[in-house]
Formats: sequence, C-alpha cells, structure tokens
Amino acid sequence: MTYFLQLVVSGVVVGSIYALSALGFVLIYKSSRVLNIAHGQIIASGAFITYALKVFLGVPIVLSFLLSLVITFFLAMSVERIFLRRLIGEPIISVIMVTIGLMSIIDGLIYLTPFGTENFSFPRFLPQTPLSLGGVSISWTQLVGVLITAALIGGFSYFFKKSTLGISMRAVSDDQLASMSIGISVPKVFGLAWAAAGLSAAAAGGIIGNITGLNFDTLHAFGITVFPVVILGGLDSILGAVVAGIIMGLIQQFASGYLDGNFGLNGTADVLPYVILLIILLFKPHGLFGIHEIERV
Amino acid sequence: MRTTVLRSVQIAMTALIVLGLVCHVQAGETYKLALSLAITGPTSDAGNPYAKGVEDYFKYVNEEKILGDDTIDCTIRDDQYKTDVTKRNFEEFLDMDIVFYLNYSTGSTLALKKDFEEEQMPTIPASFHAGNLVDSNYIFLPIASYSAQAIGLAEYVVKNHQGDTPKVAMFIHPSAFGRGPVEDVEKAIAAGLKMEIVEVVEHGKDLDNTAMLKRLMSKGVQYVICHTVQSPVATVLKDSSRLGLTAKSFGEKEKLTFLGAHYTGGNDLIALAGPASENFFWTTSYTLTSEPGPGTDFQLALAKRFGRDDKAANSHNYTNGIMVAQVATEAIRRAKARGAKVTKESLYEELLMMNGDKAFKLDTTVGPVTYSKTDKMGVDTLQLYSVTSGVFRAVDKPFSPEFVGKI
Amino acid sequence: MAANRWLATGNYFTSYQEEQRIFFTHLDRSVFMVFIALLFLWPYFFTLSNKYMLVIDNILIAMVAILGLNLVTGFAGLISIGHAAFVGVGAYTVASFARVLGDSHVVVTHFWPLLILLAGCTGAVFGAIVGLPALRLKHLYLAIATLSFQMIFTWTINFMRFFDQGQTISVGRVFWFFGKVARKQHYLFWYYVALILVIGIGLMIRNLMRTKYGRCLVAVRDNDRAADAMGMHPGLTKVYAFAVGGFIAGVAGALHAYLYRGVGIESFSLHESITYLAMAIVGGLGTLHGAFWGPVAIKMLDLQVEHLAEVAGEMLPANMNLATALRPLTFGLVIVLFLMFEPRGIANWWRIVRSYTKLWPFRY
Repeated sequence: MTYFLQLVVSGVVVGSIYALSALGFVLIYKSSRVLNIAHGQIIASGAFITYALKVFLGVPIVLSFLLSLVITFFLAMSVERIFLRRLIGEPIISVIMVTIGLMSIIDGLIYLTPFGTENFSFPRFLPQTPLSLGGVSISWTQLVGVLITAALIGGFSYFFKKSTLGISMRAVSDDQLASMSIGISVPKVFGLAWAAAGLSAAAAGGIIGNITGLNFDTLHAFGITVFPVVILGGLDSILGAVVAGIIMGLIQQFASGYLDGNFGLNGTADVLPYVILLIILLFKPHGLFGIHEIERV
Repeated sequence: MRTTVLRSVQIAMTALIVLGLVCHVQAGETYKLALSLAITGPTSDAGNPYAKGVEDYFKYVNEEKILGDDTIDCTIRDDQYKTDVTKRNFEEFLDMDIVFYLNYSTGSTLALKKDFEEEQMPTIPASFHAGNLVDSNYIFLPIASYSAQAIGLAEYVVKNHQGDTPKVAMFIHPSAFGRGPVEDVEKAIAAGLKMEIVEVVEHGKDLDNTAMLKRLMSKGVQYVICHTVQSPVATVLKDSSRLGLTAKSFGEKEKLTFLGAHYTGGNDLIALAGPASENFFWTTSYTLTSEPGPGTDFQLALAKRFGRDDKAANSHNYTNGIMVAQVATEAIRRAKARGAKVTKESLYEELLMMNGDKAFKLDTTVGPVTYSKTDKMGVDTLQLYSVTSGVFRAVDKPFSPEFVGKI
Repeated sequence: MAANRWLATGNYFTSYQEEQRIFFTHLDRSVFMVFIALLFLWPYFFTLSNKYMLVIDNILIAMVAILGLNLVTGFAGLISIGHAAFVGVGAYTVASFARVLGDSHVVVTHFWPLLILLAGCTGAVFGAIVGLPALRLKHLYLAIATLSFQMIFTWTINFMRFFDQGQTISVGRVFWFFGKVARKQHYLFWYYVALILVIGIGLMIRNLMRTKYGRCLVAVRDNDRAADAMGMHPGLTKVYAFAVGGFIAGVAGALHAYLYRGVGIESFSLHESITYLAMAIVGGLGTLHGAFWGPVAIKMLDLQVEHLAEVAGEMLPANMNLATALRPLTFGLVIVLFLMFEPRGIANWWRIVRSYTKLWPFRY
C-alpha cells in the first residue's frame, strides 16, 4: 500500500512538472495555433540562465530564478517578433518548420556556452532530509517544484479569466478576425503568448534542472515529452495540460513501478505515453478538454 | 547566401594551402592518423575532453620530438554520434592513407567492424563494448571491456559482502551498450560467481525513481551495478539519498550500495549528483587527478601547456584520450625502432606484440597495456574508486577480474 | 499548336493533353536527355574519392526519400514528422532477412533488387497503417501521429533482440552480373542503382501527377471538403498518399542498408526525420524537382560547414565550442531564412531562372 501511495505521490510530482512544461506549449498554441517544437530548448535555456545568474554572477537563488523568468519572458517575445511575426497566415508546415529551425539555432547558441557539452548541478539551497509521512516521501526540491507549478498555473488561469489582456488573448484564440474588429492587436497578443510561454518554460527548466542536474540532452528532451501530455489534455486547454500532465506522470510511475522487470518489459515509461498518444488520436483526437474543432474528413 | 558559401570555401582552401606549405617545411616523415568522435550531439560531454586529450598529446609528441624528426598528423572529425557520418569520415581517412584509426562510439565501431577487417586498419575505439571484439581482428579496446568491468564490480561485491548470497540489481542504459554486460555477468554467475541478479532495470528519462528504488528495496536488493551514462545515475543517486536508502559504507545492511562502470563515473557524476554521489563505487583503468601520481602530473601539465580549463584537465575522458594517443605513438615508435616502415600492417603487428616483456607500461592507467592475437583488451587491471568528500578516492589496489577468463 | 516545337515563347496549348505533356518543347527533352546521359557518363571521365562518392550516393538516397516525403507533405499536404521511421522500416526489412538468413545469404546478396522492392512494400504497409488516423484527423494532429510512430519505431527496434537492439546488423556485399561488387566498385555501383531509382521514381511521380490519382492528392490538400463534394474520399486518399510515400521511403531505406552494408537505428532517428523535412522545404514543397534540390543543398551545406568548423577550430585551438556550434546554427538559420524569405524553396529559383532564359532577351 505504501508502495502504491509512493507511486501516486511521485506520479503527481512528475506530472506537475509535465504540466508546467506543457503549459507554455499550450499557451502558444492556444493563441496563435503554432506548434512550438523548440519548447524543450527554451526550457533548457531557462535552466541555464538561472544557473548562470546564480553561480557565475552570484545572484541569490530566488532572485536569479525570478530574473531568469523575466529574461526568458523577453527572449521569447523577441523570438516571436523576429521569426514568427512574418509567418502569420503561412501554412502550418512552414510554422512548424520555423520552430524546428529555431530549435537548431538555440542548440547552436547553447553550444557556444559551456552548457552545451558540460554538466553542472545547482548548489543545494533546500533542506536535504525529505519530508516523509507514513513511509511516503517527497523531497523539498520536488515539493517546491510542485508549489511553484501550482502557483504559476493558478496565476495563469486567473489571468485568463479576469484580466482584460487575458480575456483579449482568449478572444484572439477564439476568432482572430472578430477580435481584430473590436480593436485587439493580434500580433501583440501573439507576442504576449510567447512571452508567457517563455516564462513558464523557464520555471519548468529551473525545477527540472534542480531535480536532474543540468545536462543539455536531458533538458531539451522535455520538449518532445510534452507532446503526449498536450494531446491528451487537448492542445488548447490549460486545465487539460494540468490534468493530462498529472495523468501522464501517474501512468509513467505505475508503468515503471508495476510493468518494468515483470513481464520481460523494460523502459515502458518512455514509450507508453506515445502508445497512449496514438490511441487518443484514434478515438478522442481533441483530447480530454480540447475544443471539438476537428471535423471528420 | 551564395557569397557566404563561396567565402567559406575560399577560407577553407587558403587554410588548406597554408597548412600544406607548413607541412612541407618540416623535415622527416608525417604519419597520418585520424579520430572521428562525437564532439557535438549525444555523449559529447565525454567526447569533448576525449578529443582534447588526443589532440594535445599528439601536439606534445610533435613539439617534444618524441618520434625524432617525424611528426604525427591526426585529423579529428566530429561525427555527432551518427554512424553515417563516421562512415563518411572513415572513407575520407582511407583516402588520406591513414596508418592508424581512433574511433569512438559503440554503434559506429560495430557498424564499421567489417570495414576495419577489409582495410586491415588497426583501430582503437573509445567504446569498451565486448561485442566489438566478436569476429574482429583489428579492433583493440584500450582498457577492460564493460563486461569485464561489470564482472569486476560483481566480484568485488561477492568478496566484500557479509552474509548470504548478495542480491544485486543492474541499472542499465536502454540499448545494446547497456545490455551487453548483463549477459556476461549472468554467464559469470553460471560459472560459479555467488551472486543473484534480482532485477535488471533499464532506465528511461525518469524524473523520479522512487518507485524503482522502493521496489528494489522490497526485493531485498543490496547492490546496484550501474552501466549507463552519468545523468541517469545522478538522478537515481539523488533520489536514493533523498529517501535515505544510500549506504554510508560499502554493503551496509538494508541500504543500497551503488557501483558503476567506466562511463557512469568521473567528475561529471559529482557535478551532476553533488553530495548524493558520496560513497558511489566506480571502476575504470585510468588514474584520476584526485589521486595524484606521475600520470596525473603529466596530464595536468599537458592541459596547462595547451591552455585547457580545469574541467577538461581533470576529466577522466581527457585521460582516456591521452592514453589512446600514447598507445598509438608507442606503436609507431616501436615500429620505427624495429626499423620497419610505419604502415597499418606494421603497426598492427606492433600492437599484437605488445605483451610479455614488451607490454606497454604507461602512467595514465593502473596497469600495462597488453595486446596479443587472443587478447584485444589493453589494460586488463581495474581500479576501484569511491566518492569521499566530493572526490574519487582509490579503494584497495588495482585488480583484474578472475571470471573474465572463465566465461 | 505553335509551329516551333523547339522554342516555345509562350503558352500555345490548345488541348489539355498538351498541357499535361512531360516536356513542353523538344529543347526541354533534349536538354533533359543530355543531362541524364551526363549523369551516367561522368564517372568514366573523372574519379572521385570514396568520400565524395559516398556523399553523392547519400544525396541520391536522400532524394529518393524526399520524393516520398514530398508526395506526402508537398502534394498531399500531410505533415510527416516520422519519415525517417518509414525509411527505417525499409532498411530493417533488408536487415531482418540478413538476420534470419545470414548476411551473405544468396537471397540478400543476389536477389537484392527483389528485396529493395519488398522493402518498399513493407514501407507501404506501415505507411498505410500510420495513415489510418488520417481517416479522422487533420493537420497538426496527424503530424503528431507520425511523430509518435517515430518514437514507437525507435523504441521497438531498441527493445527487440531480433533487431539486435538497434545495433548495426550487417548486410553482405551484393553480386551483379560481373560477380561480387567489391570494395572498389561499391560506391560507383550503388551510385548507378540509386541514380536509376531516382530517375525511375521521379518519372513515376511526374506521371502520377498527370493522372486522376495524383490530382486527387492535390485536390484533397487544397480543399478536402470540395474534394469530398467532387466524389473523392479524402480519408482514403490520405491513407493512400501515406502508403505511396511509405513505399518510396522503404526503397530509400533498403538502398541505405545496402550502401552502408549495415542497418543501425541511429540513421533513422527523429533528428533524421527533421532533416528530411528541412530538405523537402529548402528544395521546395509540392514541386517535383524540389526533391532534387533539397538534399543537394542540405548535404552540401553540411559538408561546407564541416570544413568551416575545422578552419575555425584551427584558429581557436583552445575553444572548440564555436566549431561545434556552427553546424546546428547554420542548419537552423538556413531553414528559418528559407521559410522567411523563400518559402517556395530552391525550386522557385529554378523556375525564375527558367522563365528568364526562356524569354531572354526580352523581359516578359
């Protein structure tokens, strides 16, 4: 039973990190219908910026984490301005390919820094002894990660529900033409969506970096890992990203907890999300919470 | 666009011509060697210092005139860990008439095995995969294979374990690179090694290994032999230390003792796992800068001479690169001393003769390099290290696994 | 009909049949024939080093693969982020024969044309299976379905002992009428095989696009509801596009297996899929000759950057990072710049050059 509970707790922890990674992805897709393949690279740069500020410049960890959020906020905004603004109205394939190109460019830029090939780990700043309750344990890093995730997701939901800017972003995602006609600047909204995505990606990067250590390959792989999550949740639903993230985390933990090493199977946690992905695509393509916009062909 | 390409071609051409002129000025012969490895892409954290080690040592050989007036010209190419690119590089090297080839990944070594055979090209890869040697005559592993390392670790566990048969789990990379040694350890057990493999875990990109660790505990596992790269090991170590499952000393009861083969360890592991890496046992055949000796002094001096940063200078992959370059240089030196023309054939013979009295003793490894027709593993001895206060310290004397011969 | 069939200066078509001709003028046909002849004859006059022969062979194989991808993504408008997996299916078909029968078994070495065909068929089967979601899905969702096929393919190969867990499975040297194709002739031999296949498949696609089966692909791409109204079945059309694309990819995979004399999973990774997409885009999606420009451009760029990186490495000995960063940087920049400034790819430059020479000395 403890084993089961531990799996649940770990699953929720991992899942909330997925949710946070997926959040940025969803934000961009929701407003501008762009599938951002370079998301993993943005996550990685967020982690690296935090580390660079903390260790190379000696900024306190909390401040450097916040600063990295701000920096990626503006970085992502300028990425949108420079590369994607020109492509509004181009076919989907062009937009996807631009993000693929971006992925390569960011790769190249990161290889210019020591982070490209070397490994680092964050200095410890949280208590080392894990919190433990009835045999189920969770580390401080994970707990803080979950809390930050919850705060960010809560913040974004509030922003979209209540603020004028958030509502105008939702309006744009609903109908670009109509929102233009009531005076919303669509390009500005796109820029803002990217910026918000950059911010959440940097947060995710900071948290993942604290858990796994800073290895570029490991970090940018998260860009691909979020695909099954966002598809399960529905590409344009924040709630979907959260729920699907946690479901995916649970599925992975249960898979590695109960399947691996039992039926001659191994490493199922890595492939299971994609199998589920295919099944969802076949039977419920708009995910759990996505808008039913897909018509049958 | 077009002008940039043209410009780059021009630059490349000029540079080649200049290089060509420089080469002409030098007296003596130039021996062409080549190395293709992953400086970018997967495993580049290991490939990068490796390339630096090879490059620096050959520069040192040329500057110090270790081969007299003759010089070594070693072309280093990045293959991004892609077999296709390695193949292309190798074809180019063949056109350049190289006499000795240094390769890198397990995948490309296996893929090019047939080419090495056909071309009769003596090759030293950076992969110590035992499968490299199957049906092969021209591949020489620099040190003991991963299988030998895993068996060595297993033997150490058996020898130092208190109580009944030790229960061991293997934590491996989800690829043939990771799975290879498992079979050989199983064979060693069949041949009489008193140990039980409870579970073989292939890791994914897990953020949390709590489930796995608890499962291992519930099955009574006491030792985890890791054979993968640093990053996943670091995650497991962190999780284990967080859960309080890591043994404080070797073989502590009700706790997990982690052990790992060559590519799991090194300073990168400490960098990634931090204090959680404490008491991690690691085996390799190289000397480490945390245990100073003549080999490491030389390594640090070399790194300083060519302006390498501390990280590269202290990396065991830098040592690894230096060591293969040393072996290649030694083979050339001996061929020259014998009065033979330096060709791939003579170097191959020279390598095969490196045994008995002619074993190559060098400082950067814990034992001599021995090759023969039947023994294509260079350094057969292993050294166990463990992390104490954030650095790898030697544990006991160098040893050679007994069961390697029995399987 | 214009009187002069050698030099047409404008559009003189009087029937649809004329408009559908492969070669509009005799000049076009002659130039094409001379060009093809040159492609076949040049190896008799120059000898290239093995490295460059390998590069050329590789480009030709990429052309085959891109012909398939261009059919799926360019003509039928279905984004495939898993094309390397289809190529891999073809390669692993050959590999499984080599694995079961032994790498120098007579089936592998003597009946290789049959195996290449068979690899194509397996590719087609897998293409159709992956295309099945197309019955329900569109656009992005379909792209993600192909992505997940890529992931599952990689995992399966890595997991299965039969495929040696993704390690290289070697394939023996083939035989031809003059005997075993030895090391010396290897690259030249596969140059001819790949060249013939490129020309053959190119013509096949050119002809396909003249039939209703080809036109319905374009119709479904441009407006699937209108296509539906005109009596085509958009879903089935997409499945069939994937199947044909898969077939061509399978052929490319088998060629890859024979050229490299081995099959390993690394050559069919997600990164390769992305490179294929980049080639298709740089070449020009939805045009036949785009499939020829793209691989040439990307592979040549790769080579040039490698040289440049080496020079940069010489100049900055202590810092190899610039050299390593160059490759992804240029690759990304090329894709992005093409999409931003020339979304129709190199094929469009070709079109401009052609129309310019056709009208010369007049401007229009």
